[in-house]
Amino acid sequence: MKRLVLFVLSALLFAAPITNAQDDSGAQTLFMTFIPNVQFSPVYVALEKGYFAEADIDLAIEHGDEPLGVDLIAAGERQFGLISGEQLLTARAQERPVVFVYEWFQRYPIGVVTSVDSGIETVADLRGRRVGIPGRFGASYSGLIALLSANGLTEQDIDLQEIGFNAPEVVCIGGVEASTIYVNNEPLQILNRAAAGDCGDITDVRVFAVADDADMVSNGIITNEETIATQPELVASLVGAFDAGLRDVINNPAEAYLLSLGYVESLPISDELRTTLEAAATEQSEWLLANPDATREDIAARRADLDTALRETFSDDDLIQFEVLLSSIDLWDADQLGLTEAASWEVTQTTLVEMGFMETPLADLSAAYTNDFLPSTE
Amino acid sequence: MYAQSILTQLRRQFSERPRPLSLRWLLPVVMPLALLLLWQLVVMLELYPSFIIPAPLSVWETFVEVLSDGRLLMHTSVTLTQTLAGLLIGATAGMVLGYAIAKSANIDALLSPIIVALQSTPVVAYAPLLVIWFGSGITSKIITSALIVFFPMLLNTVVGLRSVPPDLRDVLRLVNASRLQLFTQLEAPYALPTLLGGLKVSATLAVIGSVVGEFVSASAGLGWFINDARYNYDTPRVFVTVLTLALIARLLYGAVTVLETRFLKWQKRSLDS
Repeated sequence: MKRLVLFVLSALLFAAPITNAQDDSGAQTLFMTFIPNVQFSPVYVALEKGYFAEADIDLAIEHGDEPLGVDLIAAGERQFGLISGEQLLTARAQERPVVFVYEWFQRYPIGVVTSVDSGIETVADLRGRRVGIPGRFGASYSGLIALLSANGLTEQDIDLQEIGFNAPEVVCIGGVEASTIYVNNEPLQILNRAAAGDCGDITDVRVFAVADDADMVSNGIITNEETIATQPELVASLVGAFDAGLRDVINNPAEAYLLSLGYVESLPISDELRTTLEAAATEQSEWLLANPDATREDIAARRADLDTALRETFSDDDLIQFEVLLSSIDLWDADQLGLTEAASWEVTQTTLVEMGFMETPLADLSAAYTNDFLPSTE
Repeated sequence: MYAQSILTQLRRQFSERPRPLSLRWLLPVVMPLALLLLWQLVVMLELYPSFIIPAPLSVWETFVEVLSDGRLLMHTSVTLTQTLAGLLIGATAGMVLGYAIAKSANIDALLSPIIVALQSTPVVAYAPLLVIWFGSGITSKIITSALIVFFPMLLNTVVGLRSVPPDLRDVLRLVNASRLQLFTQLEAPYALPTLLGGLKVSATLAVIGSVVGEFVSASAGLGWFINDARYNYDTPRVFVTVLTLALIARLLYGAVTVLETRFLKWQKRSLDS
């Protein structure tokens, strides 16, 4: 009997939750999906420039899939993560106390790519076609359904094929006629392969962006209700540091790319590219100092000029990840970074209910997000 | 000889004595029951939020729901089909190649390095490639399952065949036994226990292979069902599916055990005699 009691006690000890995994020393873990990638450059830049440190946050990065991240944050074992809006709503519908505090992607990044020679010229032309998707889950699935719905189609109107995260390969070998992708990533990879003659008959691609037809909430910073209630200043500090990193990336992508090299091993970099980017980064910093009132459009024009100049000198292979970064910036940039709007949440929720991911709308949708922690624009 | 006859006599006497009422049959259910109680205790103590560890009753209700609406059976049948096909293909290939390797030092030297290298690569590492090569349908899952089954079967075949005592082999050769006779009368019976041991391991591995394939890309199957539940934050359904997978693996293991009991009767008989 004593042994049984010991066993049960030991088991309970092992089963005991890791409560309040974050200590008071400022150590925090930011949960991010996917793998280290140049698209996470706002975090890398904020780390490298000490924005998190200035806010007394000793930040570590952890990668994993979204449901895991949401559950860790909901359970209080992590406090912050970069998670998509539709995952947050689905999770809240299942009683996870998570809240969206900063809308990082201002445009939903999902779209459908197809060859210009596929005969698919509009979304409506997808009817009856083989369309790839990583799987029937996550942002890709939600985005595709929203795109189809906005164009009078349903999933049953297309031949949906689950292909994992292999869209460039499967599209290039003709496994599908179109595929659901991140508009800032896979189309560039397909074009890169096509330019190298490694993508079947494909010479150019056409992209249908979900954001053109449906304003859904994409990725942003989430936390849990307890952190908001007990450590609001921490939330504001973390959001502020991320915001500063994001602004720097938008303003100076060459610098952001260089600062990301220490985090993303696969980023292409040659001595010549490094030298060129260093010069571009310095020049852009000086220009920003000299033009404190530069508008979004001015800065966007500078990015475009840099892109053109780089393309004249470097190959597609050299520039592929820098192009991904520039395309991502187009999805992040906005008059007010981080701002999340009620209308986007309504569209996202309606899509999720149509898809059956949510049985009913949330009783209080506005509790799922807040703009209270956005840094002052002054 | 004398000692042997005494032992046989004692064994008979012992087997004829009335046995005390045994509760051993209860042992296999003791641990599951204990775990169930522990699970309920953890829930009652609220050590975790219910979305991390749901109550057994909640899991049971979900089980009833997905069973009655047919989803559990549908996804189970997909996974089971892939698993059995993978097991059949992988086990057959493993035994055939294992025989060749056991019989030929040249084939052994030629293939072993590649096979060992392949085996030491985790299946999750190459499963995405299989989806690209063979599509997201059932084929890539069967191949994933077959590949994970292949090596233990091959290894156990080689070990089993090489365990045949050389002197017995020499005796059969002396009486001019054919290669087929050598195989059916000596090698196969000798290797059978090891082979069935390999099949036991392979049966559970086949389930893993199938589910890994479904995790990478699928539109049906228990691996897909888990992913779907996770992305819908339906933790009780994750539990139901995991328990179903455990049950499938246990049943397959049990089926091989039945085969073992049936085919290895001769061993027990020879031991008894």
